[in-house]
Amino acid sequence: MQVEKFYYDNKIVKAFGLATIIFGIVGMLAGLWAAIQIYYPASSLNFAPTTFGRLRPLHTNAIIFAFVGNASFAGIYYSLQRLCKARMFSDKLSWLHFWGWQAIIAAAAITLLLGKTTGKEYAELEWPIDIAITLVWVIFGINMFGTILKRREKHLYVAIWFYIATWVTVAMLHIVNSIEIPVSALKSYSWYAGVQDALVQWWYGHNAVAFFLTTPVLGLMYYFLPKAANRPVYSYRLSIIHFWALIFIYIWAGPHHLLYTALPDWAQSLGVVFSIMLIAPSWGGMLNGLFTLRGAWDKVREDPVLKFMVVAITCYGMSTFEGPMLSLKSVNAISHFSDWTIAHVHIGGLGWNGFLAFAILYYMIPKMWGTSLYSKKMATNHFWLGTIGIILYAVPMYWAGFEQSIMWKQFTPEGQLKFEFMQTVNNIKPMYWARSVGGALYLAGAIMMVINLAKTMAKGRFIANEAAEAAPLVKEHSAKKEYWHRILERKPVTMLVLSLIMVSIGGLIQLIPTFLVKSNVPTIASVKPYSPLELQGRDIYIREGCYTCHSQMVRPFRDEVKRYGEYSKAGEFVYDHPFQWGSKRTGPDLARVGGKYPDSWHYNHMYEPGSMTDGSLMPQYVWLFDKAIDTASTPAKIRAMRTLGVPYPKGYDKIANRDLMVQADSIAANLKKDKIETPANVEIVALIAYLQRIGRDIKAEPKKPLADNK
Amino acid sequence: MRNKLKYIPALLTGLLVFNAQPVWAAGPPAPSPFNNPLAITLMVLMLLLLIVIGILGNILVGTADFKMKKKKKEGGGQAAATVLMILGLLASTALFAQDAGTNTTTTTASGTIGGMSSSLFYIMAAVIFLELFIIIAMLINIKFLLKVEKEKYASVAEMEEAKKTRLSWWDRFNKLKPVSQESELDLGHEYDGIRELNNRLPPWWLYGFYLTIVFAGIYLWRFHVSGSGPSSEQEYNRSVERAELRIKEYLKAKGDAVDENTVKWMTDAADVAEGKVIFEKSCVTCHLANGGGSVGPNLTDDYWLHGNSAKDVFKVVKYGINAMPTWQNAYNNKQIAQVISYVKTLHGTKPAGAKAPDGVLIKEEAPVADTAGKKPAADTVKKEDKKLVMN
Repeated sequence: MQVEKFYYDNKIVKAFGLATIIFGIVGMLAGLWAAIQIYYPASSLNFAPTTFGRLRPLHTNAIIFAFVGNASFAGIYYSLQRLCKARMFSDKLSWLHFWGWQAIIAAAAITLLLGKTTGKEYAELEWPIDIAITLVWVIFGINMFGTILKRREKHLYVAIWFYIATWVTVAMLHIVNSIEIPVSALKSYSWYAGVQDALVQWWYGHNAVAFFLTTPVLGLMYYFLPKAANRPVYSYRLSIIHFWALIFIYIWAGPHHLLYTALPDWAQSLGVVFSIMLIAPSWGGMLNGLFTLRGAWDKVREDPVLKFMVVAITCYGMSTFEGPMLSLKSVNAISHFSDWTIAHVHIGGLGWNGFLAFAILYYMIPKMWGTSLYSKKMATNHFWLGTIGIILYAVPMYWAGFEQSIMWKQFTPEGQLKFEFMQTVNNIKPMYWARSVGGALYLAGAIMMVINLAKTMAKGRFIANEAAEAAPLVKEHSAKKEYWHRILERKPVTMLVLSLIMVSIGGLIQLIPTFLVKSNVPTIASVKPYSPLELQGRDIYIREGCYTCHSQMVRPFRDEVKRYGEYSKAGEFVYDHPFQWGSKRTGPDLARVGGKYPDSWHYNHMYEPGSMTDGSLMPQYVWLFDKAIDTASTPAKIRAMRTLGVPYPKGYDKIANRDLMVQADSIAANLKKDKIETPANVEIVALIAYLQRIGRDIKAEPKKPLADNK
Repeated sequence: MRNKLKYIPALLTGLLVFNAQPVWAAGPPAPSPFNNPLAITLMVLMLLLLIVIGILGNILVGTADFKMKKKKKEGGGQAAATVLMILGLLASTALFAQDAGTNTTTTTASGTIGGMSSSLFYIMAAVIFLELFIIIAMLINIKFLLKVEKEKYASVAEMEEAKKTRLSWWDRFNKLKPVSQESELDLGHEYDGIRELNNRLPPWWLYGFYLTIVFAGIYLWRFHVSGSGPSSEQEYNRSVERAELRIKEYLKAKGDAVDENTVKWMTDAADVAEGKVIFEKSCVTCHLANGGGSVGPNLTDDYWLHGNSAKDVFKVVKYGINAMPTWQNAYNNKQIAQVISYVKTLHGTKPAGAKAPDGVLIKEEAPVADTAGKKPAADTVKKEDKKLVMN
């Protein structure tokens, strides 16, 4: 048979690789800065774009989509060509994909710092960027499938199954979660409200972890680990079982982010049991990785690439066991809203994603430059710095999370809460400090890698087009009966459709009843839409990223009801587009803050939090005090809300600003009584209006005796 | 097939334990152990230990087999005896589990441990100890067999050779084949130089997976079909009821029951000093350290918004009113009495820069609390209305 000559495109891999390195450093720096702000709030520089509420989304988006995203693309473009024995389908599409993705990242960085956000975690980017992501993702899909279809290898290797599942699932998640109604060029409201928005968001958020941070990276592991160790993959059978089980089960587990919230109990239970069932499929990946190293452990001692991989896979195993444990309601009651979650995700982020990304960079770059790594010793030092960094990061956070959560729950024998919120915060400040040291070490290691890789590149010569040869694929009908899954591996489109079916089932079963069955969100008659001023205030709350530190969800626990007020009910959030339940309580819950303090308290607190709460970690929000409320946007916002089904009267958009000013004047007058002079049309007034409204409506509801609730 | 058969005793025992459930759940006066977390934990523990015994038994039989092949003369009898012993022990555990079942219904009258009948608890504990004993015995046996095996090899080289083909407990645990026999597992797949083996699934992984699926079924059954698992709301109501009972008993035992109906100004210097500490911690942000008022009203003048008797002030601090937060969750009644007593000492101090008067002029505390409380009440309501409109 005639052997064909062709060339692998290394240039695109190089581009994605460099982007990985650059955005990795940027993302880590943003994280370190945010970490320092937690114990040293003045480092926000009193400058809106660099406060924690805007920096934290920048950090998460940069790490997930820019660092891990680019690393996955680099690894996929490198491995896919070699596993298909073909050059990428189209160089043009490759570059469109590359520049499109980098443009999205740049746009994301700018808009997030400017406070343009949807207020939904890990999906903060506004609607024009959402559309751009969809387009670039389609380009990537066409390019990937084009390559697969013109392959010279009969069967698809397990890495490619993971790439296919990644592509199809991320597309589904992104589109469903991003349905929103535009209000202006860079502002939109989520189509969903309250409980439904929360369920969709965490179905997305959880599976962003599953299908953006796990499946593509598992695919990379399946290619780069056997290559680096020069060992056969441990078990094909395990690959099949754990792949299909993983993608089927993962999608169901989203509600474990909403345990003990106003989400219906049945959905919470599904989240629990599917998380538990996820242990084995996840560990299947770990086993296939670690057992592949059987007979090659002597190499691990020598080779930094394998060292990084071993720790990465071990961290993967740890966090995929911890995750299901955190999904048990009794454990979640302690871990949720605390720093425990932060520790958990960083075992995954720093350990699994970070270390695997480093490993593949250390593997690919010398290969593509036709040389060896500049300094093995430096890479080994990077490995140790990183490992110590992870430990120094995680241990204090586990400690802080557990300790603070236990303090929140303590009572005196007389039945009073034993600790005020601020006391619990003061107690863990040293841990916040230690965590930032861990993060700094990890970053220092990454910088060592940059130097090492730059020297490696300087040492070698870049091979832009790597020659390869293989026989073309011919249609042959062999009489030999093939194993059923082998047949599937010859049919990429069938694989795509099957994957889509597998990942759709869980989502549909959870989402549809929550939307259609009325009893899931019982109506509360006294819950009314926000006033125009409150709506503007809410948008300021979202813009400043308040949800990154404050939850709005009182769980049905004795301590939370004592501390914050009556626990939250599903019917309270029906006009919340988007929901703002939050996931972390660096500050106290705000679900019942309305009416808790005087207006002047909020005024002083937002200007200088320390003046009202001694030792507060909150940054100052000085710009809210002279920036005028954007009243020009009010009519469009009211119209958008009406479209979403919020019952404002017809034509209210035209008179909304009149009501807005009446309410603003009354707040200004109220402040004046406490010797505070302020114009009525500034943002702080709108924010106070919103804060004073949160969680109040339900108090107008006739009280039910305790016995009726049983 | 042979491998599958080996698990049957363990599975059967498991089934026996599970099947026994309806028998002991039937007796209506007995709290069903299947609703008792301790009982469930113990049962799960029993089951897990049984599985461990099953696996160890497997290894033991395997080691014995191996030895038998090597030294046919002596090995056979011992291996068979070991198998018999294991089976016997497994059966006895099952019997014990059965016993545990039948006993419960008869012993409900006796004392309880962690919500389950004490005899059931002791029987279950005994079963667990027995299981642990079996495991230790088996481990010793395995160690012994392996040691004997080691001594059989004359030279180091011979032993090395044997090592290559012999399986460690780790290999057996994971069903791993020796690296030297790897070629038998090679599927002949090749992708860019990557080959694929077809190792069997590690048994603990596979059975662990099944176990999580069983867990899922039981969980959903418990919380959404049988209703024996509490909903979040029920859990909350129960915790509040239990806490209220506990607090009531505590306060009764302590004999300290000051409340809004009995509170009086405290004059003891220690109490006032305590009150000052609380005041400085929680009140100064709004009322200032000198009581002159900023966000909250002036506490030093003769004007009162909600009455000036000890009972009135106590109620305002305890329950909160308008912008004043409630403090009953942070401080107990005695502490609230202390803090209002401290506030009383600030009265008339006329601090510099104090806030303008607010409320009703009340020169002195009226001798009868009732009239003092009632008279300003009408004004207070009016004031509140005004505030609400503004908010």
